[in-house]
Amino acid sequence: MAAKNLIETHNLTKVYSKVRCVNSLNMKVPPGAVYGFLGPNGAGKSTTLKMILGLARPTEGTITLFGTPMNEKNRIRLLTDTGSLIESPSYYGHLSGEENLHIIQTLKGCSPKDIDEVLKIVRLSDAKKKLVGHYSLGMKQRLGLAAALLGFPKLLILDEPTNGLDPAGIQEMRELICTLPSQYGITVVVSSHLLSEIDQMADYVGIIRKGELVYQDTLASLHAHAKQQIALRTGQPATAISLLHQDGIEVEQEEDYLLFPLMDDAYIGHLCKRLVEQNVTLYRIEKREKSLEDIFLSLTGKESSL
Amino acid sequence: MKTLQLEFYKIKRRKIWLTVFAMLAVQMLWGMWALRNPKDWELECGWTALLYMVPIVDGVMMPSIMSVLASRLADIEHKGNTYKQLETLRSAGSLYHAKALCGSIIIAVMFVVQSAFFITLGYYLGYMGHPDVKYYLLSYVLKLVSNLSLFLLQLLLSMLFANQMIPLVAGLGGSMVALLLMFVSRYSFLPWGGNLSAALVWMDWDEATRICTYYYRDYSPAEMAAVACIFVWAIVFYVAGRILFARKNI
Repeated sequence: MAAKNLIETHNLTKVYSKVRCVNSLNMKVPPGAVYGFLGPNGAGKSTTLKMILGLARPTEGTITLFGTPMNEKNRIRLLTDTGSLIESPSYYGHLSGEENLHIIQTLKGCSPKDIDEVLKIVRLSDAKKKLVGHYSLGMKQRLGLAAALLGFPKLLILDEPTNGLDPAGIQEMRELICTLPSQYGITVVVSSHLLSEIDQMADYVGIIRKGELVYQDTLASLHAHAKQQIALRTGQPATAISLLHQDGIEVEQEEDYLLFPLMDDAYIGHLCKRLVEQNVTLYRIEKREKSLEDIFLSLTGKESSL
Repeated sequence: MKTLQLEFYKIKRRKIWLTVFAMLAVQMLWGMWALRNPKDWELECGWTALLYMVPIVDGVMMPSIMSVLASRLADIEHKGNTYKQLETLRSAGSLYHAKALCGSIIIAVMFVVQSAFFITLGYYLGYMGHPDVKYYLLSYVLKLVSNLSLFLLQLLLSMLFANQMIPLVAGLGGSMVALLLMFVSRYSFLPWGGNLSAALVWMDWDEATRICTYYYRDYSPAEMAAVACIFVWAIVFYVAGRILFARKNI
């Protein structure tokens, strides 16, 4: 029997000032996964995550967390096993890093020993007595992650956690996120507008565009969509099309090229021979691959940023 | 209880007590200056006079003090974007309740200090007899509830608006309203007129002798309604704050 999804949303919708920011979203986050929630800026990622955390009320739809439908009464109880970092980190600038974590630790009701452990994980042990107001943005972000990790919850929701970090910090954050499921058994939902980032971290991916989930499956399956084709340019395309049709091959025409599915070398060699026999001039024959970026752009629209 | 304890933990190094007592110190300095060198008739009615003068000064100063207190308590959350984290751990209603309770305790302590100061000052100046415990206690309760309602109004604004200029301007406006009300009436149904209605003592000023006569107010039904209004405002602002804060999308 398949394990229960940690998060399931059913027709989740949020309307702000008559605009459907999130539209009938059905999200499924399996346990033990790093679920990459990908979409361009303003696609509805943060709104979705806020609704899952109960910070924004859905206009329509339901959310099931750990197999239990979430409502106003059980929200806090269900979220006990959840850590979150939404947009920018939350902190009290006039308190030290350790004091900030003490507040969250008390509210979560977890062991005070966790404070030192999470500080070690995010490598802030040396700065724990320093006022957070004096931290760099990267340190604040790591403190936010430490707060989310307190109590080692079953589910971690991170909204654009690498925002504002320098390249080294981004790499460090990515590595840390990747280790969470294996080392601590934490399922991670991480949102980003950067495909490359999700590609390096996630094993499941949900792509959102204008509030709608346009793709949801494993990252491996998304890679499989990276379609490979043969592009052929000839002086007599009509003859070439007719020949390919005789072999039962579907052909698309794109500018001067004929595109058809990837075939083995033997067939391509045989095809070339037959084309030459029929006096078809061959200009170019090449293998084309639709990249992950192409798939993302085709799913989210060309105008979207990567 | 845990959430309330954390409220006090959170205001560590924020110098909230210092801010509140600095403003209270202004009242104390005024008291020491205005009540120095009392005449014989002032020594006779000193204890009664205090129950008139202190609420009047409170009426002008407290709306501003309450706005500063509420703002200091709420802006730590806005500055650090903490509501989005706190509301995943506690309900919005419980967070609002803790904040309101924390402020209420500070206000209660502030008025204990204020009362203790003016009573000590009265003895130091040589006021005759002793303060009437019943009236002083009643005055304490009324001023506490009256200013609590102002604090809850300010807290509501401070928690809803990230820009603290809005509640602070509302507080200053409240002080102006309170000052204007004093020129026109002995009581008011407006929240900023609570301190006016709560003054248990009123006075008559004789221009010829330049002597004030202080007397315990005989509350008319309208004045009684204004006093009841103090409690109503406190409840209304608490409930409204809790509901509106809980409805706020983060």
